[in-house]
Amino acid sequence: MTTATESSTVDERTSPGVRIRDLTVAYRTPAGELPAVSGINLDLAPGSITGLVGESGSGKSTMALAMLNAVQQPGRITGGAIEIDGLGDVLSLSPKQIRAVRGGSIGYVFQAAQNSLNPLKTVGKQLLDLGRSHGVEDRRALVRQARELLSRMGLSGERVLDSYQHELSGGMRQRVGIMLALVLNAHVLVLDEPTTALDMISQANILSIISDVHAERGLTTLVVTHDIGVVAEVADRVAVMYGGRLVEQGPTVDVLRTPSHPYTKGLITAIPRLTGDPDVARPLPGRPPTLGTIPRKGCVFRERCAVYAAGAREDCETLDPPAHDVGGGRLVACHAVEGEQ
Amino acid sequence: MLKFLRRLAGHVVRGLVMIWIVTTFTFVLVRLMPGDPVETQYETLLSKGMSPDQAKAQVAVTYGFVPHGSVWSQYGHYLWQLLHFDLGKSVRAQGVSVTTEVLSSAKWTIGLVLAGTLLSFLFGVVLGVIAAMRRNSHVGNGLSIVGSLLHGVPQYVMALILVTFLTVKFKLFSTGPVDGLLEPGLNGAYIASIVSHAVLPAVAFALSSFGGYLLSMKSSVVSVLGDDFILASELRGIRPSIIFRYVARNAILPLFTVLALSLGFMVGGAVFIENAFNYPGMGAMLIASIGQRDYSEMSGAFLLITMAVIIANICADMLYTVIDPRVRRGEGA
Amino acid sequence: MSTTVEVPVVKPVVPARRTKFLTNLWKVLRRKPSRMIGAFIVALFVVMGVIGPWLYPDNLPKSADLLAGPSLSHLLGTDFEGADVLAELVIGSRYVLTAAAVAALVTVVVGVAVGLYAGYRRGRPDSALMRITDFVLTIPGFPLLLVLTTVWKFDSALQMGLVLGLTGWGGLARSVRSQTLSLRERGFVEAARGLGLSTPHIVSRELLPNIAPYVAMNLLIGVTTFIYSQVGLFYLGVLPYNSTNWGVMIQLAVNNGVTQTGAGLSYLMAPLVAILLLTLGVVLLVDAMDEVFNPRLRED
Repeated sequence: MTTATESSTVDERTSPGVRIRDLTVAYRTPAGELPAVSGINLDLAPGSITGLVGESGSGKSTMALAMLNAVQQPGRITGGAIEIDGLGDVLSLSPKQIRAVRGGSIGYVFQAAQNSLNPLKTVGKQLLDLGRSHGVEDRRALVRQARELLSRMGLSGERVLDSYQHELSGGMRQRVGIMLALVLNAHVLVLDEPTTALDMISQANILSIISDVHAERGLTTLVVTHDIGVVAEVADRVAVMYGGRLVEQGPTVDVLRTPSHPYTKGLITAIPRLTGDPDVARPLPGRPPTLGTIPRKGCVFRERCAVYAAGAREDCETLDPPAHDVGGGRLVACHAVEGEQ
Repeated sequence: MLKFLRRLAGHVVRGLVMIWIVTTFTFVLVRLMPGDPVETQYETLLSKGMSPDQAKAQVAVTYGFVPHGSVWSQYGHYLWQLLHFDLGKSVRAQGVSVTTEVLSSAKWTIGLVLAGTLLSFLFGVVLGVIAAMRRNSHVGNGLSIVGSLLHGVPQYVMALILVTFLTVKFKLFSTGPVDGLLEPGLNGAYIASIVSHAVLPAVAFALSSFGGYLLSMKSSVVSVLGDDFILASELRGIRPSIIFRYVARNAILPLFTVLALSLGFMVGGAVFIENAFNYPGMGAMLIASIGQRDYSEMSGAFLLITMAVIIANICADMLYTVIDPRVRRGEGA
Repeated sequence: MSTTVEVPVVKPVVPARRTKFLTNLWKVLRRKPSRMIGAFIVALFVVMGVIGPWLYPDNLPKSADLLAGPSLSHLLGTDFEGADVLAELVIGSRYVLTAAAVAALVTVVVGVAVGLYAGYRRGRPDSALMRITDFVLTIPGFPLLLVLTTVWKFDSALQMGLVLGLTGWGGLARSVRSQTLSLRERGFVEAARGLGLSTPHIVSRELLPNIAPYVAMNLLIGVTTFIYSQVGLFYLGVLPYNSTNWGVMIQLAVNNGVTQTGAGLSYLMAPLVAILLLTLGVVLLVDAMDEVFNPRLRED
């Protein structure tokens, strides 16, 4: 388990910055509209890889979809803005503009476990559909680009373009997904659980491909995952999500080494180490909240919080803790941490 | 290709076994018939003054086996004739071979069923897509209920209601048998006669069967819309018209199997429509032969109806291997 | 690298018991008025078949008014002999519904036995049974019934039901088998074995209750097909008319020229509309049952 300490070589001219402001997404349910993501503020620096971690139901996948203004029914974005350099606010684009942005400026890579390809068409035919949808005139150049990308990722472009989805392994499909996300020269890349359901070798492979391609093409990348190992491997910065809120963010090395928020601490002590006493690993008590069980008032984490359990603070019950700058580029949303300072 | 052929061969062998079982069944049926029809014809011929040998030969021509022989020799003789596509001689139409009779009525049924099925497939698929797209609105719900109802109502109810209202109340079409005196061909009178006789049965057929296609297409479209690759395509900015084509192609695939299967069943499944509209097809022939106890014609018709189903089954399966790359190219080929 | 923070949630496997099924059904029925109407229609037909015929004398009084339209004394008009059509419809429902019930019983017994055994044992018995099932499914059912009318006269509803059931169990056997296989896949059987339960116990307590609702739904659809088939046989006139039933009514109406002249329309329409109505009832009821078994279909 290595941590990504080397600063990636960034092509500052192409990598756009991304600023997410007060993003709120709500889902319509029989019990009314419930927020799955509330008041998220997150900056993706040009040329950086940001890891977004959280348990299932934390709202991280909804966040990923919101980056392309593609939150699925019955959910909808109820407020906020996502500013991307050169594009403006993604959330206020017209349907026509947003379709051009999807795939054209922002690449999205699906979970490896899901089939993101049409089972009845070869990869090559789907590549041409992609080109046609984005008004690409030079088909030969498009195919050449795709082949280069594929061979860059260690695949035979010729063969893969002539294959159907069922003829590709999980790792190969994932690389095809990355190719389709980048072939039109997108400079923002969103990856949703890129390694889940892959075997260990393929996982390592995909992660190194992500780092390399990111550096070579000058991308700004968001990796959404539940796997802290993935974040440690590739991300420059990490943002931790819980109950639809960002509870902590900062440089990966610092956050993983000295976590501040009780939730982040809990996550990291829950990881069994290869060396040392496995009994030290302690699972987080309780279950992650679902849409209906997220507390409406106060801190969303308090029911599982060790600090709150040790001595209840009143503001934990009444006030949703705001993100607080603790220095060193780190933000933490916790009353206890704020109080210490 | 080898895989394809092996699969085909397996189906053909199984189909032949089934045809053999069905022929055996009809043989046993004719032998077991109350007041053995073979014996009866033999007696009748004798009483008409034929010599026993002549009578035996005549009966053998009709039923494919000689009376009074052992069961096994009769059975062997019967199978031997079947192998030469000889289904015996019709009793109703004296002296005409059953094969000729059966094939000439099959022609009528196939025309009717083909037109009706294609019509209902077309309507069913289009309305099914609409029902799926608007599934949470009144339009979608209404289409689903109408589809289930039409799918559920038996053909004769549909046919009789149509016949009564259109023929009696509005005098739209004539229901008499097709005029045999007209010269078949591309002349106006012949075509007009076909249209007036065949359109209503075909429409009745389509009306009573499009509901099934509607329901299957609806559920197929709904399930494809939930597939991950549709969302993935949207996130890649694929044009809506192209995504629609993705959905349509994936959703319609399972329906082709249903289509091929139903084409098989409908050679014998248009019985009620043919009866209600006086249409001279296989179903009408089967009913008439049963009514007049013409056993050789009855077995011939039943055999052909069953064979149609078996062949349609094989076609449906083979069709799938051709149109679905997952089957065509095999896993990891 | 797989330092996952995902908490695995094991879904408790609760076998759906019958009482739970009935309360669920009631809840789902009440959600839409159309479903209550469906249940009402089906219940009405059952009551009609069971007690209806007792209300009428064995020999119906004949009115002098032949093929009359609906009137106060004859709500659905009269037939070509002057008998009351409503009375005939009610009396005729008994044969039709009895035969359908017997056929349903035979189908359930044979279909569930074959499907369960094949799915539970798998391997050789499975493939052998499925071959037979395929055969039953391939033989075109209605033409077969037509051919069989040359051997049997179907005087009693019992006999009719038996033949209908014996030719119609293929579909149910298929679906019961696939249900059983999917229950196996979900670890039902292995878990029960692990607890040291006997095979009869597993089959009767674990598998059957889970399959029962599914069988019930298929059966409801099956019953309508059985009704259509037998009415169809009588309508085509290949069977002697020695009892009053809906098929005979249709046949006699057609033979007496109702479709040509339009006189006595209510005589022809009564059984046809009865079938339409029953179909509607079953369609609406199946919609409710569908939701009990596939909660995914529920509209939010």
